[in-house]
Amino acid sequence: MTKNLARWSGEIVGLHKTPRSFLPMKNFRCLSLIAGVGIDGDRHATGEAFHSDRPEEGRQITLFEEETIDALLRDHNIILRPEDHRRNVTTRDVPLNHLVGKKFKIGEAILEGTRLSTPCRHIEQITGLELFNQLLNRSGLNAKIIVSGKIFTGDEIRMV
Amino acid sequence: MRNRIHSVTTEIVSIEDDVNNIKIFTLSDPDGWPLPSFMPGAHLDIYLPSGLIRQYSLCSDPNNKTQYMIAVQMEIEGRGGSSEMHNLSEGMILPVSLPRNHFSLGDAKRHIFIAGGIGITPFLSMLPDLISKEIDWELHICAKFGEKISCQSLLKKYEKEPNIYKYISHGGNRLSIEKVISKIKSDEHLYCCGPSSMINDANINGKALGDRLHFEKFGIDEHLEDAAYQVVLKKSGSVVKVPKGQTMLGALRVAGFDVPASCEGGICLECKTRFLAGTPIHRDLVMQPSDRKEFITPCVSSCSSESIELDL
Ligand code: FES
Repeated sequence: MTKNLARWSGEIVGLHKTPRSFLPMKNFRCLSLIAGVGIDGDRHATGEAFHSDRPEEGRQITLFEEETIDALLRDHNIILRPEDHRRNVTTRDVPLNHLVGKKFKIGEAILEGTRLSTPCRHIEQITGLELFNQLLNRSGLNAKIIVSGKIFTGDEIRMV
Repeated sequence: MRNRIHSVTTEIVSIEDDVNNIKIFTLSDPDGWPLPSFMPGAHLDIYLPSGLIRQYSLCSDPNNKTQYMIAVQMEIEGRGGSSEMHNLSEGMILPVSLPRNHFSLGDAKRHIFIAGGIGITPFLSMLPDLISKEIDWELHICAKFGEKISCQSLLKKYEKEPNIYKYISHGGNRLSIEKVISKIKSDEHLYCCGPSSMINDANINGKALGDRLHFEKFGIDEHLEDAAYQVVLKKSGSVVKVPKGQTMLGALRVAGFDVPASCEGGICLECKTRFLAGTPIHRDLVMQPSDRKEFITPCVSSCSSESIELDL
């Protein structure tokens, strides 16, 4: 299993951040990751996130699979744009659900998966889409930043 | 106390006086970031510094992604919200809810609007949308005798529209809602926003329209009076009514009790709270049966008894 897992490599297909809870996510070509803190200018780093009253070391950055976006369209006819899922990094070919407790490299930075994200009604309120059940078990990954660095769209993601 | 991060933070960038003791507030993100989008007809809950919560229709163009506008008429005999709003000043931070919509545009060939007084506001967010989509509409605006047509500064840009009709009651040209309704065709919808007397008139005359009749009353939000059950909070000694259509968690938040919550869909158990009396209806997806005898998830669960007591 570990052997197979080590063989994958994927890429960043979208990068987003927002300074405060509820505000729309904006697309960026590059994000600056600060070890132990979060993404420069993002709500999780500034204590301005919806969940910042319950700070969680493992929620410095969040990731979401582009494959889920494809599946929602294919299976449920739901158009979820990368800025709508409210995670910071949209990935392709990365098995996010297998990365809890694992370290992986993303651009210049190194992350460690901390727990699977759970879907949240908050996203339904913001997007107006009925999504909650469709996102059960595929709502992305929360991670902490172990090594700081810049990450760009198109950068490779792989095991350390 | 409401936690700032559980609302949308806006800054009052301008306050302009309009006729009839109305002030028009323009709100934006303190850093100019885009605001959550809204649909025509939506309103905001405004969280006032005193703890009062008031609903106001958005009267700006939904295509303007960086600004919200609301118009607030001073009600001398009101419940205090309008006078508090009128005392706010430019530059202040004003937390608001996400835009919500109970008065959306239906699927119609033509939309007919009737506005009474400050009831013009939701239509001001609908007109730009309809105009940009080239969908037909007609607007009837009424004012009380002795008052002027409200929100004049916002109506200015529609001066040349031929399908706006203005009426001053008792001034010789009182609007006949019956007449307007009699001309409505089967693929047209009617929307009415104004005082109760106007809504009642539309309701009586417009029965045959069925769900092609939409209305929004202002004044006390009546559904908030219509409690489904109540939550007794043992430690704080408070009682919170949960209106039909609202979650227990939502009602607790409105009452100022910020229960920790994350998924708000019954899967993370972050909101799990001990209950002491009452019959819960559990709707979470993950709690152990043994825990269900002691705890409830207020984000999705409710109760079948008249009240439920929580250890809060
Ligand atoms: S907030 Fe997740 S179960 Fe209630």
